[in-house]
Amino acid sequence: MTEQTPVASRARVRVWDLPTRLVHWLLVAGVAASWWTGETGRLEWHRWSGYGLLGLVLFRLYWGFFGGSTARFGRFLRGPRTVLAYLRGAWEAVPGHNPLGALSVVALLALLATQIALGLFAVDVDGIESGPLSEFVSFEAGRAAADWHGALFDLLLWLIALHIAAVVYYGLVKKQNLAAAMLHGERELPPGQPAVQHASALRLVVGIALAALLTWLVARAFRL
Amino acid sequence: MPRRPSMRFCSAVFVPALLAVAVHAATPQEAQKVRHEHYEELGDAFKAVRDNSKGDSPDWAALGKATQTVVDASIDQQKWFAKGTGPEAGKTRALPEIWAKPADFTAAQKMFSDRAPKLLAAVQAKDAAGVRAAFKEVGGACKNCHDNFRAPEDN
Repeated sequence: MTEQTPVASRARVRVWDLPTRLVHWLLVAGVAASWWTGETGRLEWHRWSGYGLLGLVLFRLYWGFFGGSTARFGRFLRGPRTVLAYLRGAWEAVPGHNPLGALSVVALLALLATQIALGLFAVDVDGIESGPLSEFVSFEAGRAAADWHGALFDLLLWLIALHIAAVVYYGLVKKQNLAAAMLHGERELPPGQPAVQHASALRLVVGIALAALLTWLVARAFRL
Repeated sequence: MPRRPSMRFCSAVFVPALLAVAVHAATPQEAQKVRHEHYEELGDAFKAVRDNSKGDSPDWAALGKATQTVVDASIDQQKWFAKGTGPEAGKTRALPEIWAKPADFTAAQKMFSDRAPKLLAAVQAKDAAGVRAAFKEVGGACKNCHDNFRAPEDN
């Protein structure tokens, strides 16, 4: 546990803990790998990158409930009124995602989770390649999942583009380097901000174990 | 009422003749549609082989049925590409190369019909590892032909 007491003067604060940052950049690598293997028909590798992404998203969902304060959905998700207040500039900043950025986080995670789920059931047009859970659905349902998997990926790309555009906007207009903050995890914050609470190592170990176990089970179609 | 011999002769000659005409009268578009359905059936069967060959105790009855469909298709598909059923007849991913390079196409089709019986043999021998190996081999034959004679998906 660090930064238990409110920050006294403008100081560098560890806003994003290591698991949150690592998951973020591994998701970037995983999506890139899945894109490339999917487009070039390397389906064996595509399954592996998909399993990697599944584990990451499962861990991030766990971390959204049991992780540090800035990673928790309950802390950063706010109602439409707060989002509007933020847009009007009438929002009192706290460390972590702003109300609008929070929506982007949740939208990206939800779309990624849906995309992975569809991939698990997808079947290629020849019935040769398929996701690990496709044996539980018919050929037609697997084909439908594959079609949605393709269509939703375009939407995911648009959302990623919007996410990057927002980060660039904050850098150019608001002079806040969000990408660097996601690398080293630190932000300079004015005094009087509520403290950032980090989760214990035990919670981290439990989260990794749970995500790995669930991913392993899914990849084996729940055959023990 | 017993039919007269002449009528029986008529049936024996004309009914098959009419049937033959009916088959040949199918439009290229109909032939494309039937071909598409055949390949969907094959994809369905291939998925069934894959699904049922996972794990240590495969469903041999289901595997046998699906594999028989694959073997039958490997022979029948040699009749599914009549002249005039390419892109000129309508929307299809069948490339003109099928008809431009008939020897290559026949060789690609033969790869499938040569390998499919190995899959059936492995199923009949109840050799789970052999089924998975043969599945990969047959899949390779599908892919070989698709890479050369089928247009990429347009989405």
